[in-house]
Amino acid sequence: MDYFTVYLPIAGMPFNVLLLLLIGFTVGVCGGFFGIGGAWIVTPALNIFGFPMPYAIGTDLAHMGGKSIVSTMRHGKFGNVDLKLGFSMIIGTTVGIELGAQLVMVLERAGLAESVIRKAYIVFLALIGSYVLYDYISHTRRKTKTAETGASGGESVAARLQRIKVPPMVHFKTSGITCSLWLPILVGLTTGIVAAVLGVGGGFIRMPALIYLIGCPTLVAVGTDLFEVMITGAYGSFTYAVKGRVELIAAMWMLLGAAVGAQMGTVAVKYVRGYAIRLLFASTIFIACASVVLKQLKLQLASSITILAAGIVISTVIIWWLVKGILAERAAQRRRATGTAV
Amino acid sequence: MKRMTVRGPLGIWFACLAPTLAGLAVLAVALEARGAPAKPAKQLVNIADTRTLPPGLARWIADVYNTSHWEFGLLVVVVMAAMGLILGAGFDRLVAKLGIDLGRLEHHE
Repeated sequence: MDYFTVYLPIAGMPFNVLLLLLIGFTVGVCGGFFGIGGAWIVTPALNIFGFPMPYAIGTDLAHMGGKSIVSTMRHGKFGNVDLKLGFSMIIGTTVGIELGAQLVMVLERAGLAESVIRKAYIVFLALIGSYVLYDYISHTRRKTKTAETGASGGESVAARLQRIKVPPMVHFKTSGITCSLWLPILVGLTTGIVAAVLGVGGGFIRMPALIYLIGCPTLVAVGTDLFEVMITGAYGSFTYAVKGRVELIAAMWMLLGAAVGAQMGTVAVKYVRGYAIRLLFASTIFIACASVVLKQLKLQLASSITILAAGIVISTVIIWWLVKGILAERAAQRRRATGTAV
Repeated sequence: MKRMTVRGPLGIWFACLAPTLAGLAVLAVALEARGAPAKPAKQLVNIADTRTLPPGLARWIADVYNTSHWEFGLLVVVVMAAMGLILGAGFDRLVAKLGIDLGRLEHHE
């Protein structure tokens, strides 16, 4: 196995290349499919295999920026990235991240940062997971009761927020919504604060916020969120690198694996309906929540293994959907070709 | 316009979950505030050891790191962005060659 070992000069340790490729690939698949950064997989995975925590976070942020470029490019070509909405949210997100970071400093000075943040994280994940799952179940019930489909519970919340006519009113063509510019700015601000306080990229919070508060279709939410992850990843990796906490060689290897995974995850959304993405997303959030609970109970190893195993299982499910979709598409193409020939 | 409704056992469970979790969070914060002592931060060394490194990419990166962390920060962003763009474009072509339709998607919910 020495053949696959590289020396990482910044962290000052040898590391297995295959592991870096596997971690990158797993998070690439999940990231491209859900529109998230995947810090919840990468950071514990690197940490469990011997990376010191600050290097794990910095290296994760660095590869996240590059990986999100791959996914955003693909989603952009699918027409899933609402750039206007993304740029509107960035204003709020940036201010929110700074406010959240200041709040963390206050908590740190009080000696409360770590455990308070972890508990808040558990609460947030449980709430978001429950809401997404509830929305999925109520959608499925409505679908079986009536032939009229497509109106989700979340849309009504978003529609109510869209009715607040505070100038300037802006039309977001890709998302197909018109609302006050202040709505995406405020949603960006809130998710930025929460993301900074919880120490995550924010995809877990921003993706549902785009669907339920702004009213984006699921796929546009995934694509637009990836655009945001790309910006926050670039900014985060720069600040961590300036503090000397990015292992560039490891990030490069991970990005190589992630680029393949991101492409597969992104193409997989083509074969899955929006609500199926939401269901898998809810399951993912609950697993992430369980992992943080285990960490809170001081079961560090169990927590890391849970999240890493979950990442591998979820990416396997996504790849399965992708393969199934491609085979079905090919079969349909063959049928069409046969029909035309006849 | 349809209003969001919370009905049935699932709705009741969901309606109870939010305040319960919020209450637990407030309780946890209050308990923490009573007696968690502040921990001093660990001092970490910010120099890469290049003494045993042979010349090559790793040595060059370590040298940039040791010279200036600002330059290293810029290097990280540029390398990641360039790799992302190149790999994204490359794999895009590869996927297209596999015969997968990569046109615009209809949004099905």
